[in-house]
This record gives sequence, C-alpha cells and structure tokens, in this order.
Amino acid sequence: MVKEIFLVAIDWLKKKDVDYGDIRWVKKTLEYVRVKNGKVEVVTKDENEGFGIRVLIDGAWGFAASPIINEANLIKIAERALEIAKASRLVIKEKVKLSDEEPYVDSYKTQVLKDAFQIPLDTKLDLLFRVDKSLKKEGIKIRNSALYFWQEEKNFMNTEGAKIDQIIVHTGAAISATTVEGNELQKRSFDDYGAKGYEFVEELNLTEKAARVSDEVLQLIKAPGCPSGEKDIIISGDQLALQIHESCGHPIELDRVLGTEAGFYGTSFLTLDKLGKFYYGSKHVNITANATQGYALGGFGYDDEGVKAQKFPIVREGKFVGYLTSRETAPVIGQRSNGAMRASNWDRIPLIRMTSIDLEPGEWDLEDLIGDTKDGILFETNKSWSIDEKRLNFQFGTEIAWEIKNGKKTRMLKNPVYTGITPEFWRSCDAVCNKNYWHNYGIPGCGKGEPEQGIHVSHGTAPARFRKVRVLGGSV
Amino acid sequence: MIKDKIFEIGKKILNLSRGDQTEVIILRKGEGLTRFANSIIHQNVYQEDFRITVRVAVGKKLGVSSINSTGEDALKSVVQRAHEIAMHSQELPEFESFPSPTPAKMIDSFFESTAKTTPKERALIIKEAVRRATKHNFSVSGAFSTAETEFCVMNSLGISLYYPFTRAKFSIVVMSDDSQGYACATACDITKIDCIKVAEESIDKCARGRKPREIKPKAYDVILEPYAIAEILDWMAYIGMGGLSLLEEKSFLTGRLGKKIASEKITIYDDGLDPRGIPMPFDFEGVPKSKVMIIEKGVAKGVVYDTMTAKKAGTKTTGHAVPPEWAEVGPMPLNLFMETGNSSTEDMLSSLDRGIWVTKFHYVNGLLNTREALFTGMTRGGTFFVEGGKVKFPIKNLRFTESMIKAFANVTEVGKEAKLVPSDEQAIYLPSLLIRNFNFTGTTKY
Repeated sequence: MVKEIFLVAIDWLKKKDVDYGDIRWVKKTLEYVRVKNGKVEVVTKDENEGFGIRVLIDGAWGFAASPIINEANLIKIAERALEIAKASRLVIKEKVKLSDEEPYVDSYKTQVLKDAFQIPLDTKLDLLFRVDKSLKKEGIKIRNSALYFWQEEKNFMNTEGAKIDQIIVHTGAAISATTVEGNELQKRSFDDYGAKGYEFVEELNLTEKAARVSDEVLQLIKAPGCPSGEKDIIISGDQLALQIHESCGHPIELDRVLGTEAGFYGTSFLTLDKLGKFYYGSKHVNITANATQGYALGGFGYDDEGVKAQKFPIVREGKFVGYLTSRETAPVIGQRSNGAMRASNWDRIPLIRMTSIDLEPGEWDLEDLIGDTKDGILFETNKSWSIDEKRLNFQFGTEIAWEIKNGKKTRMLKNPVYTGITPEFWRSCDAVCNKNYWHNYGIPGCGKGEPEQGIHVSHGTAPARFRKVRVLGGSV
Repeated sequence: MIKDKIFEIGKKILNLSRGDQTEVIILRKGEGLTRFANSIIHQNVYQEDFRITVRVAVGKKLGVSSINSTGEDALKSVVQRAHEIAMHSQELPEFESFPSPTPAKMIDSFFESTAKTTPKERALIIKEAVRRATKHNFSVSGAFSTAETEFCVMNSLGISLYYPFTRAKFSIVVMSDDSQGYACATACDITKIDCIKVAEESIDKCARGRKPREIKPKAYDVILEPYAIAEILDWMAYIGMGGLSLLEEKSFLTGRLGKKIASEKITIYDDGLDPRGIPMPFDFEGVPKSKVMIIEKGVAKGVVYDTMTAKKAGTKTTGHAVPPEWAEVGPMPLNLFMETGNSSTEDMLSSLDRGIWVTKFHYVNGLLNTREALFTGMTRGGTFFVEGGKVKFPIKNLRFTESMIKAFANVTEVGKEAKLVPSDEQAIYLPSLLIRNFNFTGTTKY
C-alpha cells in the first residue's frame, strides 16, 4: 500500500507551484550468508529505510533524502530539495522539460514461491556446507560459497497523480575455488542471480556446479597459457553478458550520450547522429531492452519516474535503433520515456540504468558452432574488465578458455585475454547460439553516478562467435 | 545527531545485548553534492543517513546485523537479530575477543567551513569555473561535494570512541571537440581547496590537448601524474596490501616480504593520523591506527591487519579493520601515502628523451593477475608525447597492460611535490613518478 503520509509532501510541493515533484520511499532488506573453507565467515542482515524528494522548479532540479519519516521532517526535506533546485537554477541554460506520462496508480510484486527471509538460517547453512564439501579437494586453497537475498519495497508518488507501490525480490548465489602453485593463483567460479525467492537457489544445483568448479581449477593451474594472436573466438553466455553490459548497455544510456556522466564514468560513442543509421554489429546481432521479464534482475513493474516497464529494440540485424531513456532525455530524440530511470536506494536520484539488455538467440547449436570453427578459442567466465570512457576500446580477461582445433574443443588454456573496439567486434559476430543455450544472467553491481549508485541489471545471452579478434596471452 | 545522542544509542544497544561481547558501529553522514555537465548543473542532491551495525559474540560465534532507525523497537530488533545469527553460526577459531580499549590520538578534522557550505556556494564556484572554460569554448563537467560524518565505535569491553570529520571534493573535466583536461582536489577543510585553480589546471590541459595525434601502442617511458598513480595504488591496496590477501596468497606481496620489489626511491605507507591526508584515527573495531610501512625504499615491508587476520598471521592488529560487511575483502589501508622524491617536473621532463605524460588513468582493473599486480586501463584527461625533454604534442588515449611490480621497479624519478588525490575508497597523498618501459597495448581514435 502506498504510504499516505507522503501525500503531505506532495501537497506541499503542489502549493509551492513546482514544475514537477516526486517522492520515493524505499525499505531494503538484505541477507548475506557466506561459508569459507568449511566455516561460516559472514552472516549479516541489513535493513535500511528512508525517502527522497525530487523537485523541478523553473526548469532546475533539486533532491534531498532522509531516513527520518514524520510530517515535520518530510516538509523540512522538501524545503531543502527546493533550496537546492534554486541553487541549480544559477547554472542552467535551458529549462528541463519532461515528456508526458500517464499518472499510473498501480502495484507490482515479484513472483516468489518461497520467501527466502522465512527460510531458517540453518537450512541455508546446511546447503552451503554441502556446497563447501563439493568444492573441497586436495589442492584447493580457498573455498567460498555465498547466498544473497534482497527485498526492496517502494512507494512512488508524484505531483501528477501517480501512486505506485512495488515489492521487488532478488536472490543470488556465488561459489568459487582457488588454488595456488608456486607464484601462481587460479580461480574458477560460478554465480547467478534472479528475481525469485529461495526456489532460485534450489534450482541452481549448486553442489554439482561446485564439483565442476573445483575440478576445473585444479586442471587450470596446470594448463598452458593462452596463446596470443588474431583468433576466431567463441564467448560463453556468462562472459558475453558482461561484454554486452560494458559495450552496449552503458553506451545506449541516453543521459550518458548527452554528456551527464562526462565528469566521471565518461560519455558514449553512440552519438545522436547514429540512431537508426549506424551499424553497431553484423546482421546476426539483435539486442533488445526488456524490463518486462519479471524473473530477471533487470525486470520491474515501473521505473523510478513512474513509467511502465517496457520491451523495445536496441539493435536490429546490426543496426543501432534505440536508446534507454528518461522523461528528461526522451524529448531530445522526439520520444516519450521508455522507462529506464532507476535509483539504487531512497537516498539517490534515479538515473538511466540498464534494464535487461539481451542478445537475441540465433540458430546455432554450440556443438555445431565449435564444429564449424577451425582454429579458435572458447572464453568462459569473467575475470577482469576494462573499457574506455566512450565505450570503444575494451579488454576482458576470463577465468578459463579452451583451444578449438579443426572443429574440436581441445586443451584447456589459462590467463586468456581478448581485446577490441566495440563496433568492429560486434560486426565480426557471425553466429549466435539458439534459445536452448540462452540464459538471463543477473549482474548485481552495475555502477554509475555520483554519489555512486550500484544497481542490479541483467543480460540474456547465448554463446556467440566473433571472427579475427585480438587475443592476448596471459603474460600480455 | 550529536556526540551525546550517538553515545546514548550505543549504550542502549550494549545494554540490550545478551551476547558474551557486543560491538556497535554508528556512522552518521550528511552530504551535499552538486554535479555539472555540459556547463550546467544537472544533478544537485543532499542526503543524510545513519547506519548502526551491531556485532554480537556468543563464545567464538559472531552475528552481524545493521539498521538505519533509532526507535526502541528497531534497536531491540537489530541486537536480537545479531544475537540469533551468532547462535546459529559456527565458531571462528581466529576470533578471541573484541579489542580492549587503547588510547587513540585524535586529529581535529571537523571544519565548520565545510559542514556549512550551502548548495548556493557550491553553485557559484561552479558558475565561475564554467565562465572561465566558456571563454575558450570548452564545456565543463564534474562534481563538487561537501560532507560531514560522525563515526563512533563502542564495545562491551569499554571501547567508546567518537570522531567527527568533514570532507570536500572538487573534480572537473574540461572538454573541447577533440581534447579533455582533468583535475581534482580534496580536503577536510574546504578553504584549503582552491577550486578555481583546479579548474584552471583542467582548462589548461584541455587547451594543450587540441588536435591529438595517434601513436603506436608499445612500451614507452612515462611520467605519471598523482591522479594516475592514485588509481593504481587504490587497486593495489584492494588486491594486496591487506592481511587477508596475504594469508590467502592472493597478494602481490606473497613471498616477497623483506625482499626488494621496487626502486629504492619508492616508499609507500599507511598513516591514519597524518593531517596531510583525510585522517581516520581508529578503525571499525575501535583500534587506533598504526603507521604501517608497505614498501620502504623499495623493500616489501608489510600489510595491514585487523584482529582476526592478525591472530591468524601470528601478529598484532594494525588498526585497519573495515566494516563487518566487507569481511570478504578484509583489512585495507585507507590512508595511503607515497613519499616524495627530489625531482621537479622540469627534472623529470629533462630525463625523458622519448615518452608519454599521463594525467590520469580510467577504468583500471587489477584482477588480471593479482600475484604480479598485472593491471590494465586507459589514459584520460590529457595525454602528451614528450621528446627531448619537452612536451611536444597531445596524443590520443592509450590502453596500458602492465605489471605494477615491474613498473615500480622501473621508477627512476619521484616528484618532490605531492597531491592529495581522492580515489574510490580513500584519499592518497602522492607525487608524480617517472617510470621506464611502461607497456601500452592499445589505442583509441580520440
């Protein structure tokens, strides 16, 4: 239920004749359980609650937030937001205008079968101890397994009449095994996150994955280093998720394109002149923004400006056709907001954030794709990531790779790194695996903004092949 | 909130706890931050919050819970939850006890000048920076923040420490069609930051960066400004200067303690009491911070510890515990200093026959190979080609991929001036470095 107390602030803002105002109340609950080398290392539960008021007056923005919820403080914080907006007015050129939006009165809730916060701690620890046992093998130095549970309750209302309440639940698990030999350290890991309850953890089959992870890392430390050179590469779905995140997800944020992150994270090579004209990738590359997937970390009912979750194309047969937008930025390209504004918590303003930015599946079976590759490398699971401020020059290291020779996946390789320039890279994509290999990967730590905001996003991907990519060996 | 109120909350929690030992961390922060881009203020915010974290020990079992409410029920609930978690947890062999009180030397780091800065005052400074950049047809972006924080650690063994401090940060990126300049500054006392001088530094870089040329990526001798090295040190602190990373053999210092790993001109240490940084006199367990040498005259000397990693390593805590929620990372140095050398900027330039001047690194990642501190990242904010001891022309941004062990071994000159540079988790006081044979592996078209 929308908290009626917040109407006090909305009424006050209306009396002040603001262009626009909204208030968001958020209560976040986080539980984190981690077992390391057979011992419970951390069990923590965090509760955090507060509200933020955003106001637009004479075309300038102000925002203030506080955890103290009573009528007097609501007005005090609203006054502060107004004072800040008046200061902003000293350094603006044009007045901010927002795209039209229907004032929805609605609610949304993640579908949860088993409330993770009601599952006894002993049950969670029992699972992690079983996972730890699976990870345990001679030669493994560090065994980690962790469970994460998030719940976000939020109310949104604005001066246009919108009243929306949402309960969004995310669940995740992460396991890893690390081994050390001489001056060398190798790690294999698995993690996944979804918008579900405890059933998500049960569906992951973590003990089986733990056994694979620890087996692989023991082989990996003895594996040869990845060779350098220009190679055809196949990228696994989990690594491709981060590739999409960094080289497509961030550059399509329209606020970033318009320069609002230039002082910190940077801008974007996908400038306005490229919309509808620029070939971002090959004809095999189809990318969609889809916030309507309720089970994904990038799914929700409404964004933090009260705009309904949407699904729309970003890249179609290689052509760049869409940005992620907000009510402030959408009019720049003659559109209405497509609902990508989210804040990491009550004490942050909403920014344009990725929803679920997905690579659409292609036609290939992975086995056929490997069979069709004469001299290549298969990269799996991210280890390091870096990309320039316009999102062009990237370099990714993965935990593991395999050599592909004459259509066969052969020896394991360690310390693999590949690098490239975003559009050249995506134009070299000549195959994407089919829906049987497609999975929506959750990423719970996407950073943007000042003060910094870490937010949950996701990417649906299937393994894909890229031709003639620069591969750097481990020693680089 | 005020000191007495914070202590009252802390005492209430200690009294409510049924654990064998209890620890309370209270952090209250109010921060105003004005962001600007395209030469306008586009985001302007204020947020206040407080966070109460309770750690309860039942025997050798620990439970942690946190909340941001101070109502009676909320306090009862956070203590009860931490206790329940401890009861269901397992014994930690390396846990003996929360620390006992040790006198902590306090540094006066709270400045009314910073705490009372208004959004209007921040806006007027930004307006002047915009005015100056606009004269050159440049656009400006950046952020200007002023914050006041109260930090309190109490435990049932008698620790009762309170430390208020303020911090101001100003960063500015000035851009033309084909160039960019970067500069920033931070201090506890805002009056110690000359924002307009910082803006002029960025404007100058942007002006000198016009018409950049593309050069081939390969190994070059480099002069790295403090902004660039701070990005590197921040990552080095994260991956290898803490007790946990050493115990788990992830650190680049594994097997290297006592050995010469860098040029003898390199000395890096952590000092929470040095007022040239952003002082923090005690850690999140309430232990006074010791000055810890990480690298002294090129020799690897040590890492920082909290009580549990110290116990495991058979040593004493250095007072570098992080919040309990960061247990995965373990203790970290958050007040890093690099000792200055003897070289002026001119000296360094004159020693550079052919090389590159780097203002700042962008999107550094230090996870490629933590044992060798193999890092990658991009240049940003003004990159220049140097020839014959003179800055010759601006160049397009480059990607580096390099082991910082190798890079620090190849340092031949250290600047005699130092700057306090804000980074992700801390502020680092450090000079410029001249490094030979630094490996660049990629380029850009801008």
